[in-house]
Amino acid sequence: MPHPEPPPAGTPGPSSDRPVAWRALVLAGEASLRRRLVARDEQALVELIELASPWLLGITQSMLSDSDEAEEVVLEVFASAWERVGSLGVEHDALLPWLLRIARNRAIDRLRRRRRWRLKLARAEAYGALPPDRVRASEVDEAAHPGWHVHESVHAALESLPAEQREAVRLAYFQGLTHSEIARQLAIPMGTVKTRLRLAFDKLRVALVPIKDWVL
Amino acid sequence: MTAHDWYVENRAAYVARSLEPGEERTFRDHLVRCDECAREVVRLERELGWLPMGVAPVAPAPGFARRMAGKVLDRPSRWRRRLPLAAAAAIAVVAAGTALSARDEGRDLRALLSARESQLAALEDTLSVLRQANMVLQTQISMDGYQGGLLIFQDAASHRWCVIVHGLPPAPLGSVYQFWFITETGMVRSVEVQADTQRPAFMTLPMPGVAAPVMGAALTMEPAINRSGEPKGVELAHVVF
Repeated sequence: MPHPEPPPAGTPGPSSDRPVAWRALVLAGEASLRRRLVARDEQALVELIELASPWLLGITQSMLSDSDEAEEVVLEVFASAWERVGSLGVEHDALLPWLLRIARNRAIDRLRRRRRWRLKLARAEAYGALPPDRVRASEVDEAAHPGWHVHESVHAALESLPAEQREAVRLAYFQGLTHSEIARQLAIPMGTVKTRLRLAFDKLRVALVPIKDWVL
Repeated sequence: MTAHDWYVENRAAYVARSLEPGEERTFRDHLVRCDECAREVVRLERELGWLPMGVAPVAPAPGFARRMAGKVLDRPSRWRRRLPLAAAAAIAVVAAGTALSARDEGRDLRALLSARESQLAALEDTLSVLRQANMVLQTQISMDGYQGGLLIFQDAASHRWCVIVHGLPPAPLGSVYQFWFITETGMVRSVEVQADTQRPAFMTLPMPGVAAPVMGAALTMEPAINRSGEPKGVELAHVVF
């Protein structure tokens, strides 16, 4: 296994430079939200949807290239969360990464069921080398999109990858392609695909460390 | 490189879901047996948990959260959604168990087959009465607001009748529907009829063992305690050739 490299220079650390009190406040906020969800507080569900849906719609629309289907997936995610939140332990991940993981897995399942890769890829090509920013950074702030600073950090981490690794991550993680499909798509050996992805994920793991304790 | 090295090298690929479908299944099976890999996969999922937020958010339409919450709350629970599947699975399991049991118990299977053959023969026999009928009689029956009927197919060749009673409610408590043959020398008690508005009562009857020729038939509502040879209740239908 290759050794992880240090985080790219200039990658912002969204929570490491924030006041401890602020962090404690959001931690308490998420714990409270989770307790209310477990207690079947329907208003808490609305709040969770308000906070998380922009990000869930972002990843699912980007992957599926279909806003209606993306909304169906997001509905499935919240329904699943509503049923399962009570079984989450207190030591479990923050809520949003958990929801994002469900959303991404559901989107990949749908993509693989579709068996329409060529059509999907043709559409996805229009989105460019990385998932598109439909909202310009200058037009938004943390108040408009809670979690925007996380997006900036992740985006910066992705941008810091060498282009060929970034492309491999885009196809694997954001488009749901397998190693062999990426190899065909890029006309490179499968071993090269695996190496690029391994290197990229090692870098990303390190770059995303400061975000780990950010919560809703 | 050991077999386990493959799993170590592909942990991130598993989390990213870039393994081929077969590899993904193999890896998932391995996680059940390997605590180390399971622990590392959880750690990787946490470390890469924010990666989907590399995609810019999409602003939902106004009212989205309320609408979405309404849909979530309206959905049946997972168990209710899965109940039909669970029922189907249970039926499949029972059927499979029955089939396996029957395979092991050839005698039971042969008995079942014999019973099915007998049923089929009975159905064919009944159908033959309908197809060979030389006379068909029918009459309407009105009772307590119900409109039913009595239909008789007579097969002179086999000396049998097919009798159909339809459209009548179940007999009240303490009473029975009684079918009678009408002969030149009087009424001859036949069978009780189990009426049901949902489906007709269907009977194949031999001619009564009396010397007098049969002239017709009647349906009466009899007290259940009446076991005599003469009708004592209300006559609902009366047909004569």
